[in-house]
Parts: sequence; structure tokens; C-alpha cells
Amino acid sequence: MSGQRDGSVDLGRGLTLPNRVGLASGTAGYGFELDQLIDINRLGALYTKGTTVLAREGNPPPRVAETAGGMLNSIGLQNPGVDAVATDYAPRWRGWTIPIIVNVAGGSVEDYVHCATVLEPVAEVAGIELNISCPNIAQGLDFGRDPAAAARLVAAVRAVTERCLIVKLSPNVTDIAAVARSVEDAGADAVSAVNTYIGRKIHRASGRSVLPLGTGGLSGPAIQPLALAAVAAVCDAVHIPVIGVGGIVDAASARDFLIVGAVAVQVGTATFVNPETALQVLDGLRD
Amino acid sequence: MTADLGRAALETGEVLVVERLGGGLLELVVRLPHLAATAMPGTFAQLRCGRGTTPLLRRPFSVAWTQDDTCGFIFEAVGTGTRLLAGLQPGDPLDTLGPLGHGFSVVDAGSVVLISGGLGCAPFPLLISELRRRGVEDILVLNGARTAARLYPAERFARPAVPVVAEATDDGTRGHHGPVTDLLREALGASPSAVYACGPNPMLGAVMRTMLESGAALPPTLEASLEAPMGCGFGTCLGCALPVRGEDGSTVWRLCCTDGPVMPMRDVDWEVVLALPGADVA
Repeated sequence: MSGQRDGSVDLGRGLTLPNRVGLASGTAGYGFELDQLIDINRLGALYTKGTTVLAREGNPPPRVAETAGGMLNSIGLQNPGVDAVATDYAPRWRGWTIPIIVNVAGGSVEDYVHCATVLEPVAEVAGIELNISCPNIAQGLDFGRDPAAAARLVAAVRAVTERCLIVKLSPNVTDIAAVARSVEDAGADAVSAVNTYIGRKIHRASGRSVLPLGTGGLSGPAIQPLALAAVAAVCDAVHIPVIGVGGIVDAASARDFLIVGAVAVQVGTATFVNPETALQVLDGLRD
Repeated sequence: MTADLGRAALETGEVLVVERLGGGLLELVVRLPHLAATAMPGTFAQLRCGRGTTPLLRRPFSVAWTQDDTCGFIFEAVGTGTRLLAGLQPGDPLDTLGPLGHGFSVVDAGSVVLISGGLGCAPFPLLISELRRRGVEDILVLNGARTAARLYPAERFARPAVPVVAEATDDGTRGHHGPVTDLLREALGASPSAVYACGPNPMLGAVMRTMLESGAALPPTLEASLEAPMGCGFGTCLGCALPVRGEDGSTVWRLCCTDGPVMPMRDVDWEVVLALPGADVA
């Protein structure tokens, strides 16, 4: 398992990414917008928007706030629901060569199991990324903070899917390595790290938090050194492939994650600034 | 529904001039052949402010006008990003992404009213140019600002034939002394076929209230260009949610960047819009 000489990445359970650079969940939707702006099929993977059992309208605005070298978001997992993804979106992925990895979120083990079950027969779905780390919904972080709860969740989903199962870890924990070991033992094929850091911004004219829920998830280049430390700790702790994500803006900031042991990377917030960033990272890593 | 981004492209333009119009208003003129050829009234471009990581996100600006291979943008230097734009020099490169968004439905007959508050003037020169191209000559611009110096100059709305521009200032330093919506009340007597509005969201709410309170039938085309804090500008971050009324009367979120920025004013849930906090300018 892991990185191959041709640049492809074997994540296990039959999933080989054509290259190391993917688009991070929550920053690429389901690919349909970016497909109009870039040659999306050159990339190694598309990790979709977090997908839940039922459609979610998302949080009230404002949902984004800019910070030094980054941004806070509190989108609230706006998504069309897993049935719409399976029946309406999947046919539109036919013919795409980029592996589609559906990010799944929920509030209970049953939610995640339901989503994985719905996606299991969908040929266009190459893998599942379990989002146990969303800071912007009630219970979004519960599984990500408790190694035993994370393991129970992974084992339950493992029982219903033959797809490659990636677990996206939260950095908002005391010991990310413990959670990583726990999901590895429970049957995860790979882990991705990290999701956003909990952050807050004050609207200085009013003294109130800019985001209506108070806090949101911090992303962007500001978090790259933090994410790198977390990913290094995860790489030291597990034997399964680790996918690094957090603050990548170019090939150099992506290579840092490979140096600490990640086999692949995801480009996130930088895509908002320049939709071609992931392609530039891919080309830069090949040079 | 996936947004149609078919015309959007990254394009590095060449700054020709940053003109100071007085009162803090700035007009940025950039050679951008692709954007100039493809921008429709009400669409916008995402401009990169500086080359570093702070500010990180691009800033959205209406394409104010196009001429040959150049585009104009109207703005004020109020935050980190716009201050960087204000400091651009002729010859500097400008990294842009556009055109983006859903623009105005441009009518081709009847009389039309354009109502602007503050920087709401930004999309109107291009709109006027397209209205005239379609044969609409009866165009009334209602232009409001806090004070005279901040009024976008009337002669810039269209050249060489300046449209009829009625002005209003909060402090009475030029034109009508009071909100620009006072002028709208009179203008509605002519039963316009279209009313287009642009300005801060509270001003747009006041426009809608004025329309409803006038008792006159709402014009068939009644559209506003709205604003919301925006992340990407092309429909993937889902950050720029605006409230519209769903079929069952409930509030649902639509994206300012791809469902808007121009929306039918009938569809917007103004009560929710007006309760949103003001802009977080940093």
C-alpha cells in the first residue's frame, strides 16, 4: 500500500488513486462547478461535500469570515442528501476518470451506516470518507473526539461496505494519534487529516462573533504548520495510508506533508482563491 | 442545480488606471479582453487583492462597464483588499476570475428605472449600455448617496448620451434631501416595465417596502443585485447564502454568487435579509 513509482497511490481495498493530489471535502462541492473551470480528471481524487441521510439547508449567514491567512466557515453541511447523490449526481460522474470519494457525515452510527449502505451499489463511488470531524453541526465532533466511539462507528460502517473506507480526523482533540490508531484497529483503510480547526472571529464594530453560531472551522495557509504537526503524529501512529490536508497552497506546502509520511494530499481552501491550485500542486510535485 | 460557469475564466489583466472620483469613490480600469467580451450586466469578477495570503480571498466586483478590451470597476478603499486595489499602478498585473454570477434580465421595451444607493451604481453603466443596445431609451437613474461627493458622477453612467439621472443625498448637499427611495415613489407613477436596484441590503429592503407601499402594481421585471460575504464566487464553498421564500413560504438559502447576485425582488425574504448583520470589513 501507499505511493507507487508512477505517482499513483494504492489506498487498499482496490482503490488506487491515479496521483497524489485530490480536492478536499467541502471545497469542491460534488465536482460539477470545478469541472467547468479546470480539467478535473487530471486530479487524483474528488472528496465530495459532506453528505448526510437527509438534505440539509445549512446554517444561516454569514457563513464565512476571512482571517489572517485563512478563513472561518460555518456552512452547516448544506447538501442534497445521500439519495440525491446516489440517484441524481452519480450518473453525472459517469465517464469521469477522477475517483469520487463521497464524504459522509451524520449524528449517529445509524446515519453513517445508512449512507454507506445507499452508496454501496453505486458504481461511480470509488470510496467513502467518514467525516467524524465537522465542527459546525450538533454532534459533528462527537465521534472524532472519542477513540472508542470512533472505533464503534468505523466497525459498523466497515460491516456494510466493501469500498475503501477513509476516516477524516479532527484536529480539535488532545491526542489525534490515539483516534487514528483506534480507527485503524476498527478496519479503516486509510485516514485523512486534518479537518478544520475551531476558530472564532469578533466583529469589532459590535463586539459580537461574526459567525452566528459563534465558532466555525478555520482553514487556509494559516493552519498548514498545525496540520503538518498533526499529520506527522498520525503517520507515526498508524500503518495505513495517511492523506495530508490543511493549508496547502502550492507544491512546496504539499511536499511538506509527503515528507512527514503522507502518501497523498488534498487541496482545500486554496481552490476558492484559484481553482487551478490543485493542478498546479500536481505539476509542481512532478517537477 | 449546478451553476453555468461556461464563460468564467482566470485572466490576468493589465491595470490602465485607478481614477479617484472624489468622496472616496475609485474607478479601476483594466485591460481584460476575455471579461470585456463576455461580461453581461449584473455579472461580476473575483479580483485578487495583492499576491500574498492575507487577504486570502478574492473580492467580488460588478463589471461596471466594458469598452473594447477594457473593463471598469467602481469601489471604495474600505478594507485591506480594496486598499491594495486602490494602490495599483498603471501596468500592474491583476489576477481576475470571471464573469461570474447571474445578471439582470434586460428588457427590450418600455420605460425602466435604475435605483442605486452608494456603490450600488457599480453594475449600472453596463446595464444602461445593454438596454440601449436593445432599443430602450426611456431610462431613469435614481442615484443616492450619503453626501454629494460620494455620488457617482451622472455623466459616467453612459457616454456620450447621458441618461436622466435624479440625485438624492442624505445630507441634502445635492439633489433631493433624503433617501433615494423618495424619488422612487414619484417614478413609479410612470408604470415602468422594469425596476433594477443595487445598493446595500438595507437600502434594497427599503426599495421593496416603497414598491409595496406605493399601491402600484409591481413592474413585470423587478430585480436587485444583492451582496453577501463570499468565499469562492463560483458555487462550491456555499458561503454566500441569501434567504429566499420557498414554495411553501419557508425561508430557503440560495447562493449570492451563482443564484445571484441579481435576484427577483419578489423572491427574496426581505425580513430575513434585513436582520442579517452588517458587513464585516477588515
